[in-house]
Amino acid sequence: MFALGGVLAMLIRAQLASPHSAFMGPEVYNQVFTMHGTVMMFLFAIPFFEAMTVYLLPGMLGTRDMAYPRLSAYGFWCYLIGAATMVVALVLGLAPADGWFMYPPLTSTEYSPGINADVWLLAITFIEVSAIAAAVEVVVTVLRYRAAGMSLSRMPIFAWYILVVAVMILTAFPPMILGSVLLETERALDWPFFQVDKGGDALLWQHLFWLFGHPEVYIIFLPAAGMIATILPVMARTTLLGYGWVVGAAVSLAVLSFGLWVHHMFTTGIPHMGLAFFSAASTLVAVPTAVQIFAWIGTLWKGRPELHLPMLWILGFFATFVIGGLTGVMLAVVPFNWQVHDTHFVVAHLHYVLIGGYVFPMVAAVYYFLPIITGRTRFFKLGEVAFWLVVPGFHVTFLAVHLVGLLGMRRRIWTYAPEDGWAIINLVASVGGFVTAIGFALIVVDIAVNAAVASRGRRNPWGAGTLEWATAIPSPSYNVASIPEVRGRYPLHDDPEIAVRIARGEGYLSWPTRKRRETLVVGTSRAEPLQVAVLPGNDGLPFVMAVATAVVFLAPLWDAYRTAGVALLVVIALALRWAWSNGSTRDEGPLDAGRGTSLPSAWEVPDPPGWWGSLFLLLADATMFGSLLFGYAFLWTVAPAWPPASYVAPGLLDVLLALVGAAALAAGPRLAARALLASRGPWIGLLVALAGAGALTAAAASIWAARPDPTSHAYDATLWLLGGFVALHTTLAAIILAYVCFRVAAGYASSVRIGETRIAQLWCDFAGSTGLVALAAAWLPGVFA
Amino acid sequence: MRDVLRLSVPLALWLAGFSGVYALQGLTCSRHWPEDLPARPALLVGWALAVLLQAVLLWLISRDPSPSRFVQGTSLALAAVSLLAAAWTSMPVALTSTCL
Amino acid sequence: MALLLPAFRRREPRAAPDDRRQRLWLWGLGLAFPSVVLATLTGYGLVVGERLLPHAASDLVTVTAEARQWEWRFGYADRPGQTTENVLHIPAGRPVDVQITSLDVIHSFWVPRLAGKLDAIPGHVNVLRIEATRPGTYRGLSAEFSGEGYLGHTFRVEAHDPASWGAFLRGDAP
Repeated sequence: MFALGGVLAMLIRAQLASPHSAFMGPEVYNQVFTMHGTVMMFLFAIPFFEAMTVYLLPGMLGTRDMAYPRLSAYGFWCYLIGAATMVVALVLGLAPADGWFMYPPLTSTEYSPGINADVWLLAITFIEVSAIAAAVEVVVTVLRYRAAGMSLSRMPIFAWYILVVAVMILTAFPPMILGSVLLETERALDWPFFQVDKGGDALLWQHLFWLFGHPEVYIIFLPAAGMIATILPVMARTTLLGYGWVVGAAVSLAVLSFGLWVHHMFTTGIPHMGLAFFSAASTLVAVPTAVQIFAWIGTLWKGRPELHLPMLWILGFFATFVIGGLTGVMLAVVPFNWQVHDTHFVVAHLHYVLIGGYVFPMVAAVYYFLPIITGRTRFFKLGEVAFWLVVPGFHVTFLAVHLVGLLGMRRRIWTYAPEDGWAIINLVASVGGFVTAIGFALIVVDIAVNAAVASRGRRNPWGAGTLEWATAIPSPSYNVASIPEVRGRYPLHDDPEIAVRIARGEGYLSWPTRKRRETLVVGTSRAEPLQVAVLPGNDGLPFVMAVATAVVFLAPLWDAYRTAGVALLVVIALALRWAWSNGSTRDEGPLDAGRGTSLPSAWEVPDPPGWWGSLFLLLADATMFGSLLFGYAFLWTVAPAWPPASYVAPGLLDVLLALVGAAALAAGPRLAARALLASRGPWIGLLVALAGAGALTAAAASIWAARPDPTSHAYDATLWLLGGFVALHTTLAAIILAYVCFRVAAGYASSVRIGETRIAQLWCDFAGSTGLVALAAAWLPGVFA
Repeated sequence: MRDVLRLSVPLALWLAGFSGVYALQGLTCSRHWPEDLPARPALLVGWALAVLLQAVLLWLISRDPSPSRFVQGTSLALAAVSLLAAAWTSMPVALTSTCL
Repeated sequence: MALLLPAFRRREPRAAPDDRRQRLWLWGLGLAFPSVVLATLTGYGLVVGERLLPHAASDLVTVTAEARQWEWRFGYADRPGQTTENVLHIPAGRPVDVQITSLDVIHSFWVPRLAGKLDAIPGHVNVLRIEATRPGTYRGLSAEFSGEGYLGHTFRVEAHDPASWGAFLRGDAP
């Protein structure tokens, strides 16, 4: 299958990225440390766990594939192109050189004139698009594509973790994307969001960046924690202690982590009370972390642990992460933070947390799941040697870095004088670093050798209880021959014969009688079988679309805006073509799903998978909108050069247009759906909605007309962006409505096939409600002034 | 979906309340805050509202239990966590100096 | 770590039911233990932090610090018009408020032995309270990455005894 090939390639890329970055280390400077941080955070850590997830999650859930296989492929190609761009930029010396968090005004045109910073902003935003695509898909897969009977309380623990992480990606990445959009429009079009003399504020970037940046840390940590919670009980030959506790801890950790962003900004002169909020939240977040750690240690006590290689790496995790956590608590204390902020102490802390908390567990996970991927039992014992190089090497390095940080060495200085007294410590750190790097290289060799020549292994070598081990190894691309019915958290322990029975086709949808790839859609909570979804076949469209998307994002590097515009039209056309290939022109009625059940096709329900996908994509979009409003309010409250010379005041006609437009957008799709249900034509409703989109766009355009120059003040630039947000979404709604019109005309709608109209309804509701809020926000200061 | 909301809403509203109190604090220190209006009582009210909201949510969830025992237990625990978090994280409004 | 190793030493699992384990591991070690430690720590941090703030003081001295790539310029409220470059003069034994701002990108004012760091942000003035207990020379650095000249972006602080501080204010060579 195409998606699977893509996913495998993704795994390989990600595995290559790890030693590469270990080699880079913090030794070679400005571009290098910027790229080191960027590559590790954006090109390695996130794509790597996404790849693992896309590969393993369907197996764990006992289903055939992710909800949107073509979207997986699209995300993969986006990532590959974006990552390649960054690497090429590094080779050409065009890589960004302002630190991985890109603080303006250092990154504004005045102080960074080349295209280096643009490379970062555009390529990273492009890659984030792929992360959001993957996140939408993970959420829908976990909520809707499980084995029958796998209720929320029976999900494998990793599914919980990755669900939480995916929702975090949907809500944490948008502020960052918005920040990049603001900075890029400032650099390209001179809209002064961060220029203080024109009403901007450099601190706005820091808020938006860390609003993303702190959850990001947990986005990286939680998948690794999910791996630990999966592997550790198996290694201890028992079950996880306190499953509900761990789920609760993961969820609380995820949400609490959004209340921490200012702790990266303790030294920016924010009042002490503001800092105190975040100090309190920062220490609070340690509690759910502690709950997880002790649940895991308790699990070890409960069982009889065996020291296989994955277990060894998990012990490495414990030793390292606990220290990282303790230094984290130290940093949460405001006065201590004032002293060590931006020194190597912080550098050491974050490496303990990220390498101890992410890399070590992921290495454990790679070794643990290797049999599924290669079908072989590990034979050569290089992995143990590598472990004993990496973990001690790592500790030598970063204990030394802690020390030198406490002695006052700042981060990001490219050298130091002998009389500073840091030389020996730094030498020790570097030697340790090289030992660590050699260890990582050995891991790669070990995996490659074992994948190539080790002997074939048996199914479920560790004696695990979850469904990914119920398939033959290496696992086939369709994962399961039939979709099982599960009755507990550990189906393989409940019923040792389940693998055979899945293979014999005793589950749902065993025989492809309808000559297409089908899978089961279940209820979110109790996982009762609900629909039969059809998965697409192999398709080159995702690749073509990824290339076109790349042009949209990268053409502005050469100021080729017209090319970018054309590419955008191509992307839209391809997306419509993509969507067109779904659906059916006739009512199929209930389908035989096996085990004596008959279910409707996912094309004949009011909430098809596309509806769920849209819902969660709009969650991300809503966060983006919220960030935009936050930025506006922030500038209004804090930026020194405010208020602007005058505020825009609405005309009566504009207000009317907005209200009527939003109302029509809300009513139209509902009318259309009701007409379809009654087997009438949906035309009136669709046209009403289209007219509504037009009216709301006109209202938004009135703001542009009132303030013709977005470069004069940050207020004007913000208004332009608010208007742009409204117009963008009304346009999207209009495109979707037009598409639905064509679909209806082509016979893709009926009294049961109303899913697409309902998807249009979601998008129209979103465009209408955000449009009203945005215009109100734009007009309010003017009304009061 | 109801079960998913049950699990997620209390914490999400903690975040909203927390951000709200922080925004209010920013506002009290900004040029838009009237000189003669004392900041601390306003902040204390904000804190109380955030805590009250969580208490109401906890009560709602305990009154209308989910059919799944697991979801009910976990959502009660998370609502309790949100209540404690609301009380703890906005605690500085009572303790530290406002705008220094 | 100390808790981890015994788990491997034991041969047979002890036959305790899951809920008893939960009470020990999760309620006790997972919730109660960190909560108590962290609450104490946060409280302590807030008290110390509060003490470091620039509260009103009677013998206060105010100076200004303007950063730019890659230079610091200091001004003195007690002696208008006087500026010094890359050297800050303060009296020892008296609280000093440094009003920090930046003319271009973000920098950070840090004299490790006198106080924590505080950022210099264009358009904003941040106030840092420092106090040198003894006369002498203290090293100061910029602690926010600011581009190519970041490494050499340093300054020093001269803390004077009352006599030489008076001389400095009168304009005599310090």
